[in-house]
Amino acid sequence: MSYDTVVVGAGLAGLTAALRLTEHGQRVLVVARGVGATHLAPATVDVLGYLGDARVENPASSVATLVASSRDHPYGHISADQLAAALDWFTTRAGALSYVGGVEENLLLPTALGVPKPSALAPRTMSGGDLRAGGRFVFVGFKGFKDFHPTLIADNLARARLPAPVAARALELELPAGRRVDMSGRVIAGQFDTENLSEWLITALQNRVEPDEHIGVPAVLGLRRADETWQKLETRLGRKVFEVATLPPSIPGIRLFDALASALRASGTRIVLGVRAVGARTNGGRIEAVDVANATGTVSHRTDAMVLASGGFASGGLELDSFGATRETVFDLPLIGMPETDRVRFAPGYFDAQPLSAAGVGTDDQFRPVDASGRPVYTNLHAAGAILGGAVPWKEKSGTGISVATGYAAAGAILAPAAQAVSEAVR
Amino acid sequence: MSSLEADVLVIGGGSTGAGVARDAALRGFSTILVERRDLADGTTGRFHGLLHSGGRYAVKDPSAARECIAENRILRVTAADCVEDTGGLFVSTPWDDPEYGDQFLEGCRATDVPAEEIPVAEALRREPRVNPDIRRAFLVPDAALDPWKLVWGCARSAEAHGARILPYHRVLDLEMDGERVVGAHVRSERSGEEFGIHATVVINAAGAWAGQIADLAHCTVNVRAGMGLMIAMNHRLVHMCVNRCKRPSDGDILLPLRTACVIGTTDVFVPDPDQTEIRQEDIDLLLDEGEKLVPGFRQARALHAWAGVRPLFEDTAKVAETRDVTRSHALLDHSSREGVAGFLTITGGKTTTFRLMAEAAVDAACEQLGGPRPCRTAEVPLAGSESHELYQISHRLAAREPVPQAEEIICECELITRSRLEEAIKQRDTTSLDDIRRLLRLAMGPCQGGFCIYRATGILHQGGQVDQAGANQTLLDFLEERWKGVHPILHGDQLRQARLDDWIFQGILDVEHLPV
Repeated sequence: MSYDTVVVGAGLAGLTAALRLTEHGQRVLVVARGVGATHLAPATVDVLGYLGDARVENPASSVATLVASSRDHPYGHISADQLAAALDWFTTRAGALSYVGGVEENLLLPTALGVPKPSALAPRTMSGGDLRAGGRFVFVGFKGFKDFHPTLIADNLARARLPAPVAARALELELPAGRRVDMSGRVIAGQFDTENLSEWLITALQNRVEPDEHIGVPAVLGLRRADETWQKLETRLGRKVFEVATLPPSIPGIRLFDALASALRASGTRIVLGVRAVGARTNGGRIEAVDVANATGTVSHRTDAMVLASGGFASGGLELDSFGATRETVFDLPLIGMPETDRVRFAPGYFDAQPLSAAGVGTDDQFRPVDASGRPVYTNLHAAGAILGGAVPWKEKSGTGISVATGYAAAGAILAPAAQAVSEAVR
Repeated sequence: MSSLEADVLVIGGGSTGAGVARDAALRGFSTILVERRDLADGTTGRFHGLLHSGGRYAVKDPSAARECIAENRILRVTAADCVEDTGGLFVSTPWDDPEYGDQFLEGCRATDVPAEEIPVAEALRREPRVNPDIRRAFLVPDAALDPWKLVWGCARSAEAHGARILPYHRVLDLEMDGERVVGAHVRSERSGEEFGIHATVVINAAGAWAGQIADLAHCTVNVRAGMGLMIAMNHRLVHMCVNRCKRPSDGDILLPLRTACVIGTTDVFVPDPDQTEIRQEDIDLLLDEGEKLVPGFRQARALHAWAGVRPLFEDTAKVAETRDVTRSHALLDHSSREGVAGFLTITGGKTTTFRLMAEAAVDAACEQLGGPRPCRTAEVPLAGSESHELYQISHRLAAREPVPQAEEIICECELITRSRLEEAIKQRDTTSLDDIRRLLRLAMGPCQGGFCIYRATGILHQGGQVDQAGANQTLLDFLEERWKGVHPILHGDQLRQARLDDWIFQGILDVEHLPV
């Protein structure tokens, strides 16, 4: 079998790249060890939440500031226009989730600890939690659901640094009798889809919320019909209702994966999980075929291009062995962001700057991994997402933004290599 | 300033101090124990967890070996809930002289330690991951000991007999009346309150810190701190306590401990028992030695590394190698040594012999408290061990299985239920997640708290034990404390786990921007 592009990785970056390529008529194969970080992270698109210690209000302008001082950052290879285009494209393609927001302003959404966290885009089931305009909020927990603690959320929010005053309180509801104890978010989400938990929730809340309160619930409003359920709650309760992301597995993240994966499958793209890219056949600095190991052996897939979106250390795209050697796991690509002192990989304080945290693959402006001299390792190999070095996404709150932007840009580079030059003005 | 009165004041809340307090309380003395931090937060909570059979000392320290096997037999009965009867295996790897096995057997015979040579094939059947190239194998009655359960069992038992146990109470000074110690001036590290405790006898059971306490009475106790490094590995790579059959040295023991296994240890003198820096070369040494015992060790997940300090008592000459210092204990009566009455020091030794040390110390105290009273700790079970039922790894699961849907499990790694957690929070009357960890082993499994710590913080706060600022603070403190043991050994799949935890706490919850 022969493909236009083989994408390695089924996280947000890989799916984004695959979908854009598919839309342009490419024959694409997605291979991955498993699902990616979509199932862990909230489905928000966080472009840039913090620049150093400062909370970012306008991600577009703060990204420009960031790349001016941090040349290796993945955003350094993408223009402001491309970043905005990537978010626009994503918003329409993940239409089922009805994203709200844009690259000019961050929403401020409460975390499950009650910290206002900046995100550029959020599904509309979550965007009602935007705290910027202030107001009164009630956070609703379900007894027996251990991954959401509304009292702590409310108490922390009441003391959070916010542009307008916020009042918050907590409410805890007993789930209807006869249900399983110790339900996971996934089980509760399933019950919202199939068992009409929304009717129960509407009844339980009807006389217990004030007319001007926004209602925050854990992000478990269903996997298949969440948007419908959310609309019903808003309409029937007559108040803003919003989901708050909590511990993995991320229900909104699974929705996002499902939306992108079904769009891909609808256009005939294969997504093969449970396999591992182990290398490639190359010729003259080009990849000609990708070797993919499955349970019974290795299959070689001929391809004209490849996107490596295998993730960072969390997903197995990068690996640190017990002797202290760090490597990219498919091609042993050159890495940037490595600690200067070989064996000092971690700093003693948890919140200190960690020497290994920005490690990853360095690329040119077409997102092709480069060697120390800046030349592409393979002319048709591109990288996207958490495998890229130069960023500390969990601190910057930039992980999903980098995945969408670089997945989009890597696909763009494959589709139209010449159009990818970055204007000096953005640099 | 208020003050308390007691027959016996015990300084130090490790196994020795808790054992002394329990022994004294069982003999009917009014007893108070003070500990500057949490119970078992010093050496006891940081050792490898081996209940010695005596095998490790059979050749080089026969008297220590004899003590170990005698105490091993007692603790299997009186502290049954703290002991898992794993058994022990001594193996001659290709790096060990097989003839040492003969000396080992001879030493065990001479010290009453039951030891039996078994065929290599039989040893490998019992321990399939152990190096297949071992040449000899010997069975001994080693076992795994849960240090926190042991110390809290002693403390609860002491309290049941009227003792007061005061963790987080630091001794600021000893009170002297001429050449007699008559009590201590202490400060609560939680409330800041300072008060005096008057006692007929003060027993210094501060282990590696005993010299610092003795200084307060102008007495001299030469205890050196021998730092030992341990690494906890994910899962039980071995079923038994597996020792190298050679003279004890670095990295020669690997033992199962609850859901994990622990490799130990190293031995380095450190000038200050509070300064235990984990060095990369020691980590590498343990991983290399682990590889000799269990091939593939370096690919296994390493969860956590920590260092403990052995209290090594030396009365006279300097010793170059800490392993050559006797591991037997030392009981010092400062009235005969320096003419200071009412003051005893019990130090050296090891956790396996803590009960014997306590007995010796309280025997000596009796002389200053009106005459001998019989010790009962060899017969009376600890709190929690009344049924004499040895701990089994399956206990928590067995309790859960009859009604799997009874309630929420807060820590899936260690199977801790919500009610158990709430009970522990109430029982400890604490605001610290780290205290709860020591009581329940919360967050000590493979994810190192990635999931349960958010939940536990929420429950602690909801129960009203802490306000929002206190909840945030204990969460942040826990993350910092955890990182100390995680970062030195972070590699391979455990780095994936740690990165997931970074995403949870920083990426999803944004803990860095909590209002504190």
